[in-house]
Amino acid sequence: MKTRIAVTGAGVVSPIGSGLPAFAEALFAGKCAFGPSALLPAAPITAEVRDFQPQQWLGTKGIRMLDRSSRLLCVATHLALESAKLATADEGADPEIGLVCGTLFGSVHSIAAFDWSGLVDGTNYVNPMEFPNTVINSPAGQAAIRYRLGGVNSTICAGLASGLYAIHYAAESLRFGRALTVLAGGVEELCKETIRGFQRTGLDAGAHDALPFDPASGGLVPGEGSTLLVLENSETASARGVTPMMEISGFGACHSACELGSFQLTAEAATAAIEEALSDANVTPGEIGCIVASASGNRPGDVMEERALRNVFNGRLGAIPVCAPKAAYGESMGAAGAFAALIAGLSLQAQCLPPTAGFRGSGTRLRLSGERQPLAGDYALVNAFSCDGNNAALVVKRWQ
Amino acid sequence: MKRVVISGIGAVTPVGSGRTNLWEALLEGRSGIRPVSSFDTAGYPVHIGAEVPDFDAAEHMRRIAPECLGRASQFAIAAARMAIGDAGIELDQFNKRRVGVCLGTTSGEPLMVEAYNNLRKEGNVDAVPAGVFSRYPCHVIASHVAIELGVQGPCLMIPTACAAGNFAIGHAYDLLRTGRADLVLAGGADAFSRITYMGFARLGAIAPERCQPFDRNRKGMVPGEGAALLAMEEMEAAKARGATIYAEVLGYGVSCDAHHMTAAHPKGDGAVRAMTMALKDSGVSAGEIDYISAHGTGTPTNDRVESLAVRTLFGANAGRVPISSIKSMLGHTMAAASAIEAAACAMAIHTGWIPPTMNYSEPDPECDLDYVPNRPRETHPRVVLNNSYAFGGINASLCLARAENGAAGRSIQ
Repeated sequence: MKTRIAVTGAGVVSPIGSGLPAFAEALFAGKCAFGPSALLPAAPITAEVRDFQPQQWLGTKGIRMLDRSSRLLCVATHLALESAKLATADEGADPEIGLVCGTLFGSVHSIAAFDWSGLVDGTNYVNPMEFPNTVINSPAGQAAIRYRLGGVNSTICAGLASGLYAIHYAAESLRFGRALTVLAGGVEELCKETIRGFQRTGLDAGAHDALPFDPASGGLVPGEGSTLLVLENSETASARGVTPMMEISGFGACHSACELGSFQLTAEAATAAIEEALSDANVTPGEIGCIVASASGNRPGDVMEERALRNVFNGRLGAIPVCAPKAAYGESMGAAGAFAALIAGLSLQAQCLPPTAGFRGSGTRLRLSGERQPLAGDYALVNAFSCDGNNAALVVKRWQ
Repeated sequence: MKRVVISGIGAVTPVGSGRTNLWEALLEGRSGIRPVSSFDTAGYPVHIGAEVPDFDAAEHMRRIAPECLGRASQFAIAAARMAIGDAGIELDQFNKRRVGVCLGTTSGEPLMVEAYNNLRKEGNVDAVPAGVFSRYPCHVIASHVAIELGVQGPCLMIPTACAAGNFAIGHAYDLLRTGRADLVLAGGADAFSRITYMGFARLGAIAPERCQPFDRNRKGMVPGEGAALLAMEEMEAAKARGATIYAEVLGYGVSCDAHHMTAAHPKGDGAVRAMTMALKDSGVSAGEIDYISAHGTGTPTNDRVESLAVRTLFGANAGRVPISSIKSMLGHTMAAASAIEAAACAMAIHTGWIPPTMNYSEPDPECDLDYVPNRPRETHPRVVLNNSYAFGGINASLCLARAENGAAGRSIQ
């Protein structure tokens, strides 16, 4: 029998609020963080963590050299440890606490800025202190140093599915005894480079509405933030006397391997990922009480997801409440899977799914709502499907 | 738990491509370190690098057009094709949903960032092609391999810098031993970039003339590029199809110093913990290790701390375990390094020879182990350890062994 993996806390920094209580309140109130970009004035609408004040949690010492991703992840780490009532080592490193961080663009702004400095200032005037920020795993390394996390420290990149892959990787790390506690999730920063990238690749909704699962949607809204779940074996959690919020039950992944940079509209791979997650969790589609969707408003992905859900749940699909939370905080890329998994846990606890912000009831037969939806059941399905063809799904269970 | 073996090796390296060329070069002590050719180093105090010469991506790609991909993706695909060919695998014989790709990288596709900044400097930032953005993020490297091969299993990058190859091989081992996949292509890939070169140059970490790990006069590392991918599969399935088994994967260990972004913990705390965890995961004792493939970058600090860590773990027996660094020939190929080194470990087990540390002339009192200086040695190693360390203070050690029935020293879970 597989070890039960419990989630005993979470840290979240998001465009709709930071810290678990503020995030949950905004989410269930249907708040939406879309607005004009402060990072790139010429950009249209983004979902940024506005007025981000990392000093509030991190103090002022040593944060000057941290880039935005590292700051977001360090704050999420701080909040996650606090939420799970975990103390960190006073000195040295605690070998029993690990960190697994999903990301998509990683440190792209730091890399671009470092290279830019070489181009315009000259290679001999570049600040070598900024070089460590250019490696893709620098946020995870910075958070480990700050909080003395000496266990497994890994960074996972699987496109928009990164967050769920990271959670699975962390669960395996616990099963193989590499640490007693692993913080797992993802981080993504918005910066000039990524915002430009969304504009140039045409994924951005621009001046149009971004409405998940709505045929009128003009695209997605780029977002950012960080979520980390605190994962422990159930024995570790009960020995510490903490009550978990949920259990990680099953994971599935399938790559469509069809074309460069496109969603597979037949949804075979996404369907296979969901089916594998259900089978890994040893549950039937009938046991799923709610679905936290990957949909962002980018039509090809949304169409594919709806088809995959129909393939798996058939006629029962209309009875299962679905939430598309990217309507609230945008496409948070490498962090998206972790945000969605957290929302699944909060929903199972409350037996109530948050609203899909801005939903106006058109064009989909999924049971979405602009209001909260009651749910019945112990299991939730979480999707994270990526435009490079990668698909991941996670099944989580209410803690009992 | 299933037993997992390495049955195919593909490599694109500064000393040659493909398993046979790579291995011959390493045993002959050939160097891939030359003056940098892909950009002008006039502004730098150093001028050498370890680039892959004469790489023709089109030779290896059948489905995707090479010009649609960055250089790291091209390397990865070439190495994947070679690994599959070397393993004698017909992909049609596998359930494609159960064939995975798991790769490490340090920088992903940094040449896309260079292209972006070049246009920006010309005042043409609005002219940056969409492809520069879509080909940049590192997950596309694994995705490109999956698409080129048409394989649909778990597909991910583990961008844990210079230890990423070991991380990826380790995770592939987890995917296979838990039965989540039947075949995984695992390893690492990185492309030579002015960004990496400038960073190491500004840290004063690049050696001016040669890479001489563990030598008293060592002056630094030499940035390089390349890829290595291993075909990894469940042992009984590999035997059933009559595959050549180079080595069995016994286990791995990972840790974080949580000390400094670029400098190793002065006592090698994390390095010792990673090796210890690898031994425990593998069910072997330190006394059973016959060879260590060192991280051995050639920087004064790395080599001193790594030697200290090995001595801490192996105690009085440390001097009896041969340890060598093939970075003396290959330079530091970033995330490809530990994957190429894992391939070399597998070949050491398979052929009985261990590759040398080249350019070694003067012993350093602070590095007092047997570094296999300048000549390969026939020692028939059975159990070997592959060390790798990275920015972020992270450490990964991988344990490989000769695949034997009920292998000695191994307690199968």
